[in-house]
Amino acid sequence: MSEKLLIVKDLSTTFATAGGPLPAVDGVSFDLEQNETLGIVGESGSGKTVLSRTIMGLQPRTNVTVTGSATINGFEVVGASEKAKREIWGTEVAMVFQDPMTSLNPVMRIGKQIDEALRVRLGMDRAAAKARAIELLELVGIPSPVERYNAFPGQLSGGMRQRVVIATALACSPKLLMADEPTTGLDVTIQAQILNLLDELKERLKMSVILVTHDLGVVATRTSRIVVMYAGRIVETGNTRDVFYHHRMPYTRALLESSPKVSNLSHTRLTTIPGRPPNLLNLSDGCSFAPRCSYATDQCHLVRPPLQAADEPGHAFACWNPLPTTRGASSS
Amino acid sequence: MRRLVMLIGIVFVISIGSFYLIHLLPGDPAVVILGTGASPAAKAILFHQLGLDKPVYLQYFAWISNVARGNMGTSFISQSSVAATIRAALPIDLEIIVLSQILAFAAAIPAAMRSARKPDGALDRLLGASSFTLLSVPPFIIIVLLVLLISIKLGIPHTGPSSYVTLASDPIGNLESLSLPAFTLAIGSFVVYYRVLRSDLIATLQEEFITMARSKGLSQRRIMWRHAFRPSSVALLGTASVNIGGLLASGFVVQYLLAIPGLGYTLITAINMSDYLLVQGIVLTVSVGVVVINFIFDFIINIVDPRISRE
Repeated sequence: MSEKLLIVKDLSTTFATAGGPLPAVDGVSFDLEQNETLGIVGESGSGKTVLSRTIMGLQPRTNVTVTGSATINGFEVVGASEKAKREIWGTEVAMVFQDPMTSLNPVMRIGKQIDEALRVRLGMDRAAAKARAIELLELVGIPSPVERYNAFPGQLSGGMRQRVVIATALACSPKLLMADEPTTGLDVTIQAQILNLLDELKERLKMSVILVTHDLGVVATRTSRIVVMYAGRIVETGNTRDVFYHHRMPYTRALLESSPKVSNLSHTRLTTIPGRPPNLLNLSDGCSFAPRCSYATDQCHLVRPPLQAADEPGHAFACWNPLPTTRGASSS
Repeated sequence: MRRLVMLIGIVFVISIGSFYLIHLLPGDPAVVILGTGASPAAKAILFHQLGLDKPVYLQYFAWISNVARGNMGTSFISQSSVAATIRAALPIDLEIIVLSQILAFAAAIPAAMRSARKPDGALDRLLGASSFTLLSVPPFIIIVLLVLLISIKLGIPHTGPSSYVTLASDPIGNLESLSLPAFTLAIGSFVVYYRVLRSDLIATLQEEFITMARSKGLSQRRIMWRHAFRPSSVALLGTASVNIGGLLASGFVVQYLLAIPGLGYTLITAINMSDYLLVQGIVLTVSVGVVVINFIFDFIINIVDPRISRE
């Protein structure tokens, strides 16, 4: 079973804006095995949400250009018509959206939102779809699913709504689940519940999961590999262990250092990354992170570093002045 | 329930308003009934007979207690029962409004759906431009143009002025005779409904739950009707509720121009003849009608958007 479920090659997504073309995703390549969990990590605006939508072909329908290739289980998403993509949406690939407050239809009963997919896509009749929807609600841990079937989203808490979103995504048993910051809109206590639920479902249903997040803590224990994005490009990728302990790209380190640690004394000031993400409308020819990087040299400002292989298998980074290899001594 | 109490309160206020308003109108019923040459003594006797010599508030109570029992009095002028006159005229107004609203919704909803799919597309621009043009032409111009085209040029029967036939005597002819007023009123409603629904649909289609519906692999058609339409229709219903009240008024003008004996025509005639009781009765009926329509629409909106009743 070494056949790849997802192959992304040189994928770019460019929005046509009033200020000119905006390259939200630029030349991204990676792949995903069956039953693997991959983390896509980056700051807000690094292009991770656009990337995850582009992979499943769910980018806006107008004012956007996608080039490169994304193949899900042999189906080429880039350039496919909306009608063709509908055939894989739900059944091959499904998405858990970021904010359960906005991703459910407020005027439609939640049960209907789940069983609609079953009826339209799997051709179930009304009774079978309802029974399956209630099963799904139970699967995602919603108490008294029979009553909740008729609830409107506004009658449920955020955590419950996100469970409904997950149930909807799982309705047609997708092979690949894209979870786009699935816990950002939720309370901290609920976040862990939802993430554990996703983990558990992944094992039970034999899915592959792409977990998109800005929170390295979220991906640390749940993913086997990580893709770090900055300004629409991959700046470092590798096995989760390697990215955490042997990262070479200063941005990855900055990202790691800026997340709070349990071992910190209380009132420890969090490390921040100076500056802000670049304006994608006028990127320099050099490394996008150079203006915020303390290691930057003239070369960094002028020439964009390509992804180059690190010592570990599958580990690559894009940097002219990589951090010294930390083999044997963990930096974190 | 609270709304129902409010409804009764509003109706009460309207009844006072409509009663008092009539007393502000110029004109003297005695002159209308007895002619200009009547002696002051004869006038005084008539005033006493009609109860017009009593204080206004007593007149109001006498009137409203009768109205509450379904008796709106007898016209000074025609000596016929006000309630019966209204009963005969009201169905015509209702028919015109219902027909016009069916036409307006049947055209506006599909048009808005198509426009919203591709904002600034060719169809959207065409509909946008033509709806603005239509909006700027008042109904009394439209009806005249329609009469010119339909009744005079094409010679469709029962469509010209003074050619109204009742529903009971000739259903087809009745439909013909009300089609022009209904169509005229439908144009204004169409433009308003189209624009309101279009802009709400465009906003709704930006919502995340639409992307989520897309990601389930639903067809565009299903997304538009099952996911986008209902949350976008609240403003449409609110607008319709207000608009229908206004339609009564534009209906009056159109009725008058075509001499269709609906409430509007009857009201204008009654005002010209200082037929106090009839005017009062019609104003009260129409006002109560508007309030009831608003009440019904409120109720529908609550069903369409469950978020509203919960807040």
